[in-house]
Amino acid sequence: MAVSWLSRLAARARVPVFPALGMHGDTILHRLALTPGIELVDSPRHASILLVAGGVPPDLHEALRRLHDQLPAPFATLWYRSAPLSELAGDLRVDDPEALPEALKRLHRELMSGRRDSSPRLLPDEPPNPWEGLGDDGHGGEGMMGGVPYGRPMAMNMHDDIRDGLTLDSLTVTLGPFLPVLPPGLGAKVTLQGDLVQSWVTQLAPYPIALENVFHEALQRPVPIAELELARARHHLQRLAFSLRLSGLEHLALVALRLSRGLNVESRVGRLHRWLTRCGFFRLTAAGRGRLEAGQARRVGGIAARAAGLEEDLRSRDAAYRRLGFTPIVQRGGDTNARWRQTLAEIDHSLQLACRAEQEDLYSEMTEAVETPRGPWDDYRPEDASDILEDLLPGLEWDEALTTIASLDLAGVSEWPLEPLSETSLKDDEERQA
Amino acid sequence: MIVSELLLPVFVVLATLAVGAYLVGVIDGAIGAALGAPRGQSAWLAPLTQGAWLLTQQANTTEAPDWRAWRLAPALYLALAATGLAVVPWSPTLIPTDLTTSVVLWGSVEALATVVIFLHGWSANTLLALIGAYRYVALGLSYILISMFVLIGVALPAESLQFSQVVASQAEMWNVIRQPLGLPLFLIVGLGMTFWGPFNLADSRDLAGGTASAVSGPPRLVWNLARAAMLVAFSGVAASAFLGGWLGPWLPGPLWMVIKMLVVLAVLLLIGRLVPRVQPERCVTLMWVVLLPLSFIDLIWAGMEALL
Repeated sequence: MAVSWLSRLAARARVPVFPALGMHGDTILHRLALTPGIELVDSPRHASILLVAGGVPPDLHEALRRLHDQLPAPFATLWYRSAPLSELAGDLRVDDPEALPEALKRLHRELMSGRRDSSPRLLPDEPPNPWEGLGDDGHGGEGMMGGVPYGRPMAMNMHDDIRDGLTLDSLTVTLGPFLPVLPPGLGAKVTLQGDLVQSWVTQLAPYPIALENVFHEALQRPVPIAELELARARHHLQRLAFSLRLSGLEHLALVALRLSRGLNVESRVGRLHRWLTRCGFFRLTAAGRGRLEAGQARRVGGIAARAAGLEEDLRSRDAAYRRLGFTPIVQRGGDTNARWRQTLAEIDHSLQLACRAEQEDLYSEMTEAVETPRGPWDDYRPEDASDILEDLLPGLEWDEALTTIASLDLAGVSEWPLEPLSETSLKDDEERQA
Repeated sequence: MIVSELLLPVFVVLATLAVGAYLVGVIDGAIGAALGAPRGQSAWLAPLTQGAWLLTQQANTTEAPDWRAWRLAPALYLALAATGLAVVPWSPTLIPTDLTTSVVLWGSVEALATVVIFLHGWSANTLLALIGAYRYVALGLSYILISMFVLIGVALPAESLQFSQVVASQAEMWNVIRQPLGLPLFLIVGLGMTFWGPFNLADSRDLAGGTASAVSGPPRLVWNLARAAMLVAFSGVAASAFLGGWLGPWLPGPLWMVIKMLVVLAVLLLIGRLVPRVQPERCVTLMWVVLLPLSFIDLIWAGMEALL
């Protein structure tokens, strides 16, 4: 009796969902973040549902199995636009974004009421590598001096500290590809001393990002500039929302997401910018680390380049943009602070351009190249630049390193455009769910 | 004798812990909804449903955790919160434990919190929890001196280290007016020791939950409960030290305490939602270079005022 009462109460909780992102899976998160009754959590230990969103490449299936087994029972897995692993072929798969929130809630209710069994464990409950420690307490490989128990090197004081001389044991770990604070798909081998990054080796490049179809069309034929600029602003607002959530400004992240979903030529970003300034985002969080050298900035391109003072923007070569009086905005700093100021300034600029272009019904005129939100796309699509992290991150603290990664758009651009979600308005969506 | 010195104090502390921790969940949810979080269930129900879910979730394990420390840390943090609440006076007569050195006892709660939070992160034997633990030590060492100076400041006019005397000494003027730097500094200490909002360096989102990133089920419920309870204990101490505790017209003393504690809680939770997390290095610099000198000034101010 008592248990059923507890289960009934638990079934009414916000559904804690841990997203494991596959290709192009992140777009659905923008919608789920605004859905009442769903809570996107950061750790698989805090989740009741594992949501695999987007296709996961076969070489990441083993990592996905390990992630799957980290969820505490009772839990279920839901596959959104993704093929279930062979062992989980009977799992629920949903491809319709409209149906996803309700499916997540139903799964949670079924788990709590006992109508659905917890997902089975896929891997044996043992360490991934054999125990190779020695000694009575088994904490060392060779005596107390290291070795590789469980296949990992001991935390050893083998490196000089690169910050202030306070040497702590170095710890080498593998991060990603499903760590939600990193770009989807990014995997790295990282050596840390305390919270200081000693070395960073990018092992898995982040998945290519899908851009809205209008950027692909702009390479085929003239497209309305208003549409192009609104798509650009949307992309940047969604990146900003991710970074704001990371820095603990959940409510402003939601403001940015709502703005991006209802974006039109009348939208303005000035109020969000003022709130960010007042709450100390630029001084306390995006406090100017992760400075790109000119070469690195050029390689990343786009906002990162212009935030480092490079006046590179393909839009200035387009006659239609020149008629709108377009000149690129640039910053000097080249660091996290400059990149977010640049992002906000460019969103604002895009909205103004969109407004004027719509009034004058202007179309882009240059079809051999397009400035995407990720950088210039001329003969080649913008390519993955995540290897610059190897030079950029050592010497930064964990928080600074993550803030730096979040401020950079490093993934390459996918050859496939973003599949448009349906046009349901945000207000309807939220009201219906509530 | 048994009723007044054992049962009543224990009841008061436990009831405040339970009701207070629940109210922290309710107020935080209400603030979140007011700031635009998607409206789901009512704020009154949300803490209960989340608690129920955590009770049904399995308590997971990690690879070779330090079991005893890992399971004990949330309980110890909760016990520290209860210890802190035990010295909070509700009226001249209703004081769970009226130690003559209750201010010192609260100081030890603040110091031991650092140990317990480090233990929670370290014993999980996983990376993100460990980083949270490391970071918290840096923060804990930074706020503790500020707290001591500020608390000595309120003990001076009372000429006592007893919270009931500190409250009594505010009969003419509350310390929040008498020592204007005190309460703002102490609120920052409170956000630090509960690692809340801008000072959430231990359990933050960039660490996927930090020291709690690898915890699930009932131990996570205890940890969440303990964090909320520590906020309640802190608000009780802040209300006693700066807002005149039970003092106030018309209403009975304990009711005044409840009102003042709720005000402090609401302010802390609002700051927690409105201000971004401070980068650890910036945070430590801020504490040592700006806030610590300010706490000196607060102490000198209090000393001069006591002499005059």
